[in-house]
Amino acid sequence: MPKHDTPLLDELEKGPWPSFVTDLKRQAEKKPECFDILGQVELSYKDKITHWKHGGIVGVFGYGGGIVGRYSDVPDKFPGVAHFHTVRLNQPSSKFYSSAKLRDICNLWEKYGSGMTNMHGSTGDLVLLGTTTPNLEPLFYDLTHNLNQDLGGSGSNLRTPECCLGRARCEWGCYDTQDLCHTLTMHYQDEIHRPAFPYKFKFKFSGCPNDCVAAIARSDFAVIGTWRDDIRIDQAAVKGYIKGEFAPNAGAHSGKDWGKFDIKKEVLDLCPTECMWMEGDTLKIDNSECTRCMHCINVMPRALRPGKKQGATICVGAKAPILDGAQFATMTIPFLEINKDTEYAEVIEVIEKIWDWWMEVGKNRERVGETIQRVGLPTFLKVMEVTPLPQHIKEPRSNPYVFWQEDEVEGGFERDIREFRKRNAQ
Amino acid sequence: MALSKDELKAAILEKALTGPKAQLYVKDFYACDPEAGPRDVKNAANDLVKEGKMDFWSSGSTTMYAAKGRAKDEEHR
Repeated sequence: MPKHDTPLLDELEKGPWPSFVTDLKRQAEKKPECFDILGQVELSYKDKITHWKHGGIVGVFGYGGGIVGRYSDVPDKFPGVAHFHTVRLNQPSSKFYSSAKLRDICNLWEKYGSGMTNMHGSTGDLVLLGTTTPNLEPLFYDLTHNLNQDLGGSGSNLRTPECCLGRARCEWGCYDTQDLCHTLTMHYQDEIHRPAFPYKFKFKFSGCPNDCVAAIARSDFAVIGTWRDDIRIDQAAVKGYIKGEFAPNAGAHSGKDWGKFDIKKEVLDLCPTECMWMEGDTLKIDNSECTRCMHCINVMPRALRPGKKQGATICVGAKAPILDGAQFATMTIPFLEINKDTEYAEVIEVIEKIWDWWMEVGKNRERVGETIQRVGLPTFLKVMEVTPLPQHIKEPRSNPYVFWQEDEVEGGFERDIREFRKRNAQ
Repeated sequence: MALSKDELKAAILEKALTGPKAQLYVKDFYACDPEAGPRDVKNAANDLVKEGKMDFWSSGSTTMYAAKGRAKDEEHR
C-alpha cells in the first residue's frame, strides 16, 4: 500500500505533545494498511466529512456485541481500510493485568488486526481498532482459548461493567468493588453478549463518593460506596495537620508553596453544608448534614475516615450528551448493604426491578435516565417501591397542583354526585 | 405467555421474514405475543439467532434483528 501525502495531518506532529499521526506512521512500517488510515483521515479533513460508515452483521457466532462493524466509503482509494472493524475486550476488574498479558493481547492484534489500540474506551474496555470480517472468528478463538479473555459489550446490551481500584489500593473503599463487578459480569453474561434492552445499559462501581470511575456521570446504574454512621475522627492527627506535621492532601498539589495549612480556609469554609467547626482545638462534625462530598477526608486522610457502617448509594440514569444533553444519575436508594454472603442478591433485585420496568416502558434507543425523565421521578420511585425523600427533590415545586392517587385519599374517589350537589349548588 | 416457546419463535420469524421492515428492534416483536414478558421475547429471538435463522445487526450502539439474508452490511449499501 502506498504512502499518501498528508500535509494537514503532518501539522499535528509539530506540537510538543504526543501525536497519533506519528504513532500511525510508525505502525505503518509494520502494517501498511495504516498508510490508508492516514490517507482517509487526510481526505476527511479536506472534505470536512467522515468517510467511515458503521454498522452491520459483523460479529462472532452467538454474540450480539463486542464487535463494531466499520467500513470505508471510499474503499477503492483506501483498500487497506475497506473493512476496519473495532473489537472490544472485557477488561479485568480495576484494569489489573500483567505486562505479559498486555504483550499477548498486542501480539494477537498484530496477527489479526492493524495493531492499533485504544486503552481504554470510556466503558473501560480494551479497544482494538481495525480488522477484517474473515479475521473475526480466528481472533475470537485465540482470544478465548489461548488468552482466556472475553469480548466486552456493545449495542443494546449490558455494557462491560467497570469498577474503581477499590480496596485493592484504596482505604476508602466502602465495599469490594472488584468482587461485585466480577460477580455481576459473570452473572449477566447473557445480557453482556446478546441484546436484551431498548438501548445500552451501563454498570459502574465506585468504592467511595470520590467516584473515580465517574459512575454518577456515565452509568445507568451507579453503585457508589458510602457510610451511614459518623466520619471517624482522629483528633490527634487533626492537631498534627494544624501544626504542620502532616502534608495536607497526602502531599498532592505540593509542587507550589501554598503557605501554612489553614484548616478554616482549606477545610471548614469549603464544606458545602457548613457542617464542620472547631471547638478549641477539637474538630466537630454534624454528621446528619454531611453530603459525603469527601473534601475533608481527601485533605486530611490521616485524621478523617469514612464511618464503619458501610454500604452503597444506588443512583440511576446518567448518560453522556447524545440526545437531550448530559444527565447525572438520580439518587434512588440512599443506602444499600452490599453483602457478599448473599451473592449480592440485594443489588441484583434492584437491577432486575429496573430492567423489568425499562424493557416494558422504555422506547427504542431510550436510555433509562431518559425514560425516567419522560415518565417522571414519582412514577419511577413507585416502580422501585421507594418512599420519596426530600433528597429526591431537585427544587421547591412551582406547580401548585397536587395529584393524589386514589389510595392516598380517605374514602377514595367514589362519591354520590347528587349528595354533593345538595350541599354545593351549581 | 399465550404461545408456547416454539409458537413464539415461529411468530417472530414470520414477522422478520414478511414484515415491511428488514431490521427490527426487539420491542417490535412484543406484539407477537402481548402476554409474553419482554425477557421471553428476547430469549426466543436470541434462540433464533443461535439456530442461524436470524442475524443480529448492530450499529455499535443499537442492536436490531433481521431474518437471515434480509439485512445488509454497510459494505453492501
